[in-house]
Amino acid sequence: MSKPTPEVYEQGKGMDAHNKVMRDIRSRKEASYDPHEPTRVWLDEDNTPDGVKRSLTIILNTGGCRWARAGGCTMCGYVAESVDGGSVSHDALMDQIEVCLAHEADTADEPADLIKIYTSGSFLDEREVGAKSRRAIAETFADRERMVVESLPDFVDREKIRDFTQYGVDTDVAIGLETATDRVRHDCVNKYFDFADFEDACAEAAAADEAAGDAADAGIKAYLLMKPPFLTESDAIEDMISSIERCADVSGCHTVSMNPCNVQRYTMVDDLYFQDGYRPPWLWSVAHILEETAAVDAIVVSDPVGHGSDRGPHNCGECDDLVQKAIKDFDLRQDPSVFEQVSCECELTWETVRERERSFNQPLTR
Amino acid sequence: MDLNPVELPGTSELFIDSLFRPPRPSVCMTEYFEVHERDGAARVGELRLESPVTTPALVDDILADAGSLWAGNREVPAGDDSQLTVLPHRAFPGGTAAEVQESFGVDYPDVDYPSVAVVSSESVDDQGTDAYAVSDVQSITGHGAALVEAIVNVRETVPTDTAVYFSGVATPRNVAVLAYAGVDLFDETAAVVKGTEGRYLTTDEAYFLEDLEELPCSCRACEKPREEFTREDCAEHNRNALEAELGIVRRRIRDGRLRDYVEGQARQDQWLTAAMRELDAQWGYLEERTPILRDAQIDAATEDTLRRVEIQRFADRVTTRYRNRFKNPLVLVPCSATKPYSESQSHRQFHDAIQWRAHTVSMTSPIGVVPQELETTYPAQHYDTVVTGRWSEDEKEFVAAVLRRYLERNDYPHIVAHVPDEGYRDIVGRVEDALDLEITYTVPEGGHPTDEESLAKLSDALSGELKYSKREREHNTVRAIADYVLGDGAGDDLFPDIQTTSRYPKIQVRDQADTQLATMVPNYGTLSFTLEGAKRWLESDAPTKRVEIDGFVPHGSVLAPGVVDADEDIRVGDEVVVEGPKAFGVGRAEMFGREMVEGTRGIACEIRHVEEK
Repeated sequence: MSKPTPEVYEQGKGMDAHNKVMRDIRSRKEASYDPHEPTRVWLDEDNTPDGVKRSLTIILNTGGCRWARAGGCTMCGYVAESVDGGSVSHDALMDQIEVCLAHEADTADEPADLIKIYTSGSFLDEREVGAKSRRAIAETFADRERMVVESLPDFVDREKIRDFTQYGVDTDVAIGLETATDRVRHDCVNKYFDFADFEDACAEAAAADEAAGDAADAGIKAYLLMKPPFLTESDAIEDMISSIERCADVSGCHTVSMNPCNVQRYTMVDDLYFQDGYRPPWLWSVAHILEETAAVDAIVVSDPVGHGSDRGPHNCGECDDLVQKAIKDFDLRQDPSVFEQVSCECELTWETVRERERSFNQPLTR
Repeated sequence: MDLNPVELPGTSELFIDSLFRPPRPSVCMTEYFEVHERDGAARVGELRLESPVTTPALVDDILADAGSLWAGNREVPAGDDSQLTVLPHRAFPGGTAAEVQESFGVDYPDVDYPSVAVVSSESVDDQGTDAYAVSDVQSITGHGAALVEAIVNVRETVPTDTAVYFSGVATPRNVAVLAYAGVDLFDETAAVVKGTEGRYLTTDEAYFLEDLEELPCSCRACEKPREEFTREDCAEHNRNALEAELGIVRRRIRDGRLRDYVEGQARQDQWLTAAMRELDAQWGYLEERTPILRDAQIDAATEDTLRRVEIQRFADRVTTRYRNRFKNPLVLVPCSATKPYSESQSHRQFHDAIQWRAHTVSMTSPIGVVPQELETTYPAQHYDTVVTGRWSEDEKEFVAAVLRRYLERNDYPHIVAHVPDEGYRDIVGRVEDALDLEITYTVPEGGHPTDEESLAKLSDALSGELKYSKREREHNTVRAIADYVLGDGAGDDLFPDIQTTSRYPKIQVRDQADTQLATMVPNYGTLSFTLEGAKRWLESDAPTKRVEIDGFVPHGSVLAPGVVDADEDIRVGDEVVVEGPKAFGVGRAEMFGREMVEGTRGIACEIRHVEEK
């Protein structure tokens, strides 16, 4: 009899299976979108290394994630929000930016200091957003204080970052690292890079920061996924605490955004959820992780999406809003004492779940 | 792992005899779990740890989890026999796609301590461990059909002498049905979690603690004043209630009466009733595991009793194996509360009127029809029903179907129905119409079968008929039992020329040279063979039930490791011929056939007679 085979993923078998299943799941959805409209745009507030800023968040429709077309990540349904097949032209992308600026002008009194651009893929991947479009967008927002653009680590390059920092705009690249644990990223999330690639990207950002001198800062914002499928509550907590600590230790990574998994349609997580095989994490777990990692040398924030609903991170239904509020409060102040002020009877259940949930009896609660 | 037997050159002719399957390769020896008592799919077993644990049981205190390979690399732990070690695993929760299960499946290492493999009910393999934890328990608990599909798939795949573990789902309300379905190991996790959520669990409900003005229990945890009773106390109570229910389950299995309990307990939640009924539809799974006889009574108190294996098997054997050998008319009579029927007052009165001039067949719910020769056969003298005189449509339909099949197979010169109005008359009428028969009714409308008038009419209906002899009666009885126990035609194949001695119901069967062949066992209406009888059985055309053993001479009992092969048709309680290079014997099966072959522990059969070769 063979030994247990921990490195299934490295044999390619696990990735092939995940991709095939995810392709099948995604193919159930048929929809296409207008390439001249952004997927979403909204105004918010964000904690940055320079304090709390008003932000304009843009989800740019760039034709979607290449990885998702191969199958992609087990929890991600965003691909379905992209245009049919091919890429989006320069003109169409600039039309989308115009729509966003118009939205901002309509909604806010003054322009946001912080611009965040996500693409459901990689903004720095030139097959997705060409160099011409990237530079034009950088120029469009040259008067802002700070920009965040999303990318996989492979595409992070000091020269591309310079397109933004040259205008004196502080620039962060948001990387969906999901977890610092390669095994979890591979086997549970089905994301194909390693922590080492993330470290390399951080080094590129650090180099860009150095090159920009005092005119602008450049850095990396790591996005982590709390409780991917197949992990128990306690495994997920442990994975996040160690991931935050490891990210904070990497030079160039100044912020960690740790986000609880929610159940999106047309994903593997949704299939598990539908068959009672997955529960999003407890908000208590999010609070606990933030508390435990409050001392690390990085800003650690969390923005639980869909909190309090069955498909989002939730507690018992009574205390969800209070705990969510404490988390948002922590995001802005980084003060763990905010969690001392919330309590609920369901903490006992949460502690029991942490103690007793096993991967062969999960999920223990709904 | 290749489960196909390796065929060595020159050995294949050994397997030609279709009665014998090629033996399974012994890839695994389960050393730490042994089944002691069987009651359908449920078992009382023993986890043979440093301190043994009797199952079905909670295993929280003895479980050591080596952890999930999803979260990180894990060492195979050193382990020891004080605990049950869950080997490093990748669990697949409900909804995990087949491709993912296939790609990430783990082959568990061989270890020499008590171990548990984690398997999905959808992709289970024999892993050579002592127990199997089912990873998709949360998805299959709460749905009758899903539970049954899962447990049948798991239990039919893993060796019979391994334990099945459902973690995180047992409650006082569901654990009897889960054990009945074939789960051996549980934990207190669900009971504790629900307690922390303020759910107060009893065998009948999951009450909201806040709704209870008084605590409907008197366990240690519930001795507190109501206002001091916390959610921690609630968790403690839930654990106590679960332990207590498991105690009842173990007792019921030992008594062979779990089904009777489950027919009641399953009513406490719809999905549990659904699970019990879905399991009844899994005939192959349940039948193989159900003994052919028991000391215990069957309580026929619900509609579901009709679908019990014991009831269905009796009806099936009476209408496909048994054959009437009397030439006399048939008299259909109602059953009696006293068993066997012939000892009841009413049947004595019928007998006084019939005087061996007719073949008597009793009609009864839920058994169907019981020919007089089989009145002692399990479960004909082992059931008790709720007597109201009112028949449900299901009962009528069932008994009518059995009677109809019975009459299609057996011809009589004349049929007399000595039955009262309620139910019986209706059933006979349906079959009379369906088969276009002419039946004489001897109980006047509104009358009772034991009324003088009824009895006189019964006697009149048989006037002119000749009595059959005691010899004919006894010969036909042992032949009928042989038919019932061994198969269609077995009575004639086995006992063409016999003599019978001793008094009914302890009839002894002898050959013409006065050598004893078999004895009728009055408690169960079966036959126990002598060595001579066993040899005659083997030589006859009657289907044999054989256990092939290694080169030793068994005394008392044959243990499973000594069994080389066994007929798959063997059921617990069956008469079996035991044969090996050094011995020939006869005895009674304590395991079903496949279990004897797969098993590495426990008593396979008890030997009654044996001789050295």
